[in-house]
Amino acid sequence: MSFPKKPGGKATDILQNLPRITLANLRPEPGSKKLEQRRGRGQHGGNRSGRGHKGERQRGNRPRLGFVGGSTPFYLAIPKYGYNEGHSCRPQYQPLSLKRLQYLIDLGRVDPTQPIDLTQLVNARGVTVQPLKRDYGVQLVDEGADIFAAKINIEVQRASEGAIAAIERNGGVVTTSFYDPISLGILIKPVPFFLRGQPIPRRMLPGEDMVPYYTNAENRGYLADPEKIQQARLALAQKYGYILPDISKDELYHMLSMRKDVRQIFFGLAPGWVVNMTEKKILKPTDEKLLKYYSS
Amino acid sequence: MFLPRVLHCDRRKMAAFMLSRRTAVLCRTLKGISASKTVLPANSQCGLLLQTASYNPRPLRLNIRDPYIPDKDSEKTPEWQKTAKYDRKLFGRYGSASGIDPASLWPSHKELDKIIAEENEWHPPLEVMLKNIAIKEKAETEKRLAKEKLIAANMAKMPKMVADWRRQKREAKLKLKEEKARRTKLLAEARERFGYAVDPRSPKFLEMVAEIEKEEKKKKKLLKRRLKEEQAAGVVQPPPTSS
Repeated sequence: MSFPKKPGGKATDILQNLPRITLANLRPEPGSKKLEQRRGRGQHGGNRSGRGHKGERQRGNRPRLGFVGGSTPFYLAIPKYGYNEGHSCRPQYQPLSLKRLQYLIDLGRVDPTQPIDLTQLVNARGVTVQPLKRDYGVQLVDEGADIFAAKINIEVQRASEGAIAAIERNGGVVTTSFYDPISLGILIKPVPFFLRGQPIPRRMLPGEDMVPYYTNAENRGYLADPEKIQQARLALAQKYGYILPDISKDELYHMLSMRKDVRQIFFGLAPGWVVNMTEKKILKPTDEKLLKYYSS
Repeated sequence: MFLPRVLHCDRRKMAAFMLSRRTAVLCRTLKGISASKTVLPANSQCGLLLQTASYNPRPLRLNIRDPYIPDKDSEKTPEWQKTAKYDRKLFGRYGSASGIDPASLWPSHKELDKIIAEENEWHPPLEVMLKNIAIKEKAETEKRLAKEKLIAANMAKMPKMVADWRRQKREAKLKLKEEKARRTKLLAEARERFGYAVDPRSPKFLEMVAEIEKEEKKKKKLLKRRLKEEQAAGVVQPPPTSS
């Protein structure tokens, strides 16, 4: 070898002499491609290669989906109308009937001496909520209103008039409140959220389309004026013909009057706090800017 | 719900009530039903009879004794274990044993500014939303009222329009009838004059029609003149009578 040795000289030579990388000289990574299976070879030659006998099935020239053999297909024969417009985006509310709620209370799966919110209902396996499937919570349905006999403070996302009347007749309290999908996911599964070590976020306000529902006292919305809610309670009692029990003289008044803040997700936990399950500690922010953000 | 309990009870004491089993079962079912009815309100109201269901919660599977805390400087550690999100997760799992500064759990000032800016952009406060809703509602009611007003005004015009339309129809019908009568009259006249039925399209008939029309015109003129004369006489005559 007479030529002088340069470190990496060979590699630079090769790099300089090789053609540029183009689409023309690119190859797939060796081993990344698998050979296509070749059917009907060898001893299987002359057979049908697993495609059956004759026709469109064997030849793979099936007509398009919805084709009904030449006549006007069903999907064109039926006129379309906007009944189902946007059905894939509509918020869903899992039904919770008063019958089932009474059943849960009777079995001791839900504790009526504490305010009931979605966490209690989900933990009692009373409802299944899937925020990723556009579930926005539960709706209280008045099935079993005649047998409902519990005094509860319940928070749901929608409630029918009959259900509200049945609960208030027993001296209970209903609140309908909105949870945005993220808050809802946290509310129904608190432990996995606490294990993430993130501060509890603020609950978002409902969108403009849902604000009218939650500001309406007749729906017992959480954004409604408390005085108007009291009036609506009286009006509903008159409509359904029962005497409204006075809550303020009740022995469970403290429990019945418990309400979440507009921005609060859990009872007793403010937004901005971090809950640590292993150490059983709550960490609160001290930074003023953070405090201002989380308290607004 | 209550039926199984009753059956169970029955089976336990079956020997004792072997002879009068049927009546006993009947009695007990009745008892069970009445008891359930009394229990229900009592259960929910005083809360003394509360039974807690035996619920076996899923254990929290956390290896707290020997936590895995990745080495940030090592190249072998995957990238996703070096993120702030993973740090928070570690703190959530192992607490202060993870060696993560609790202050890093909250967003920094920069991130907070970003979050606030985003919220300001996408999440308007309640007052703004209420105002928007009020504006929208107002516009809608205005539109509805305008439409209702228009409908009311048009409905007020309706009876007159219907009457007009009926009158027009009647007049058209009358006119058609008259035309028909005149035609038949003309045809009859033509048959009288020529002695046979004349084709209404023939020049003979058309000539005759023209002649008749001329005569009628003349008659009309005469009538007019006579009327005028009479009027003139009437106008001239009154002054002497009045004076």
